[in-house]
Amino acid sequence: MSFRPARLRAALIGLALATVVTGCAGTDPEAAPGSSSSGSASSSASSAASSAPATSATPAAPAGQRIEVTVTGGQASGDTGRVPVPVGEHVVLVVTSDAPDELHVHGYDLGADLVPGTPATIEFDATIPGVFEVELHDAGTQLLSLQVG
Amino acid sequence: MIVLAHGVGSRTDLPIPIGFALYGAGAAILVSFAVLVLFWRTPRLGGSGSGRPLPGGVQRLLDGAPFRRGLQAAALAVAALVVAVALWGPADTDRNLAPWVLYVTFWAGLVPLSLLVGPVARLANPLRLLHRGLRGLVPRAPGVARLPALGLWPAAASLLVFVWLELVYPGRAEPVTVAVFLIGYAVVQVGLALWFGEDWFAQGDGFEAYSTLIARLSPWGRRDDGRLVLRNPLANAIATPPSPGLAPLVVVLLGSTAFDGLSRTVFWQTGPGAANDTLSGTLGLLAMVAIVAVLYALGTRLSGRMAGQDPAVQPARYAATVIPIALGYTVAHYFSLLALDGQTTWILISNPFGIDGVDLFGTYGNRVDLTAVSSDAIALVQVGAIIVGHVIGVTLAHERALLSARRARASDQLPLVVVMVLFTLGGLGLLFGF
Repeated sequence: MSFRPARLRAALIGLALATVVTGCAGTDPEAAPGSSSSGSASSSASSAASSAPATSATPAAPAGQRIEVTVTGGQASGDTGRVPVPVGEHVVLVVTSDAPDELHVHGYDLGADLVPGTPATIEFDATIPGVFEVELHDAGTQLLSLQVG
Repeated sequence: MIVLAHGVGSRTDLPIPIGFALYGAGAAILVSFAVLVLFWRTPRLGGSGSGRPLPGGVQRLLDGAPFRRGLQAAALAVAALVVAVALWGPADTDRNLAPWVLYVTFWAGLVPLSLLVGPVARLANPLRLLHRGLRGLVPRAPGVARLPALGLWPAAASLLVFVWLELVYPGRAEPVTVAVFLIGYAVVQVGLALWFGEDWFAQGDGFEAYSTLIARLSPWGRRDDGRLVLRNPLANAIATPPSPGLAPLVVVLLGSTAFDGLSRTVFWQTGPGAANDTLSGTLGLLAMVAIVAVLYALGTRLSGRMAGQDPAVQPARYAATVIPIALGYTVAHYFSLLALDGQTTWILISNPFGIDGVDLFGTYGNRVDLTAVSSDAIALVQVGAIIVGHVIGVTLAHERALLSARRARASDQLPLVVVMVLFTLGGLGLLFGF
């Protein structure tokens, strides 16, 4: 009687390992070429009218709300934590990191490449209410939560 | 790869307006005492023998093997597809169907589905079909005699494992995690069903037990004589048998949803959960379940002691009355996820394996419309669900007290009602976000 659960557990662990291994082998080659942001960017044109995000680096004259974060050694400082923004406000998000990574604003699905030491800017109108995380895509570090509403 | 509250998701809800929180809290307290003082003094709801039977032909179809096997086969095919997509589909969570199907469409969608059409996860449980195919291997289930004593404890444990995965485990949104979980869950559940017999699924499969529990608040029930009936959902709920483990199952649901709410608050994110790791999440989840368990046990036992009844039987006796409160929490926390991020499933289903040029249903180019439901509507649903759940819970508790003692004094029910008010104020507090 005590054999059965033990064998079951061993089989389970084996199965789990096998699926992890095959899963990695199957997915790794695909991970390289197409990241999520490129995939969704190509499809954004069809419904851009709803949220009208603008990723361009052209600084608008009326500033809107400026949010600045600096990442040093994996630690975020500056406008971190919960950052409230009124709906419809123009947001200028400036992030400077000491390591290469990819900046990602969830929900709005905006991104920018981070080059060490060079500030990266994402500008958009905060038209979608809710709480959205801003994070470093590769490191998984959460920089701030944007509370739009 | 970001991990937010509840498995996957691109957004979380705004804190509810302070006015909503205050009105909701006031209404909950007022209704609670009005029920105690003003409402009926003899049992009013039909019992487990009540209900309007469905036509015999309909019952034969619904209870028939072809119908159930068909549903189970369809569910098995969908599950197999989801596992295949998790293993061989796009590596990125944003483009992989599997996490969205598991955490949003299935887990959150099970709630409205069970509420409308009854215990679907039981009828369509694909594991029952797998077990049926394999049970020739174990001709006589060795543990079948021990199963009744376990009650719903295994289901509570199985759900606790799932909510831990959903709310705590850092890699929860990875497609590979979903595949490993689904395969592992199927193997463990079918294995245990071979040991304990087919009835294991009703008591040990967390999803089936969850669906059955929610279906207790649907209009579909089964009368004592086996007839399928349509009846008042409140009568359906009060007829829930007080199985051992029912209270733990409800407590796990309520506690885990409370932790989901807690983990989104600024208080948690900058305080106890600032580390945002497995340890703090696990402790937070267990702490919330423990707080709910202790409050519930205290309230029911104290009420029982005041009424001169055996305190030990009270937690199981009143467990069904907490189902609406747990359901209210669940709706409050998962409504926006299902309505907004749930759109992702219907986009990705057009091209599950991410092959260039494939667009089966013409939805692959769509984007999730996060403004489909306004934040005011979300807040209204959240507060409404908590308050309606509370009102039904208090009503059921009152009825249950009258059923267990015809001359039940209103004051005897006070401890349990106070605990229910605490659950509801806690729920509103979590939505308000501290």
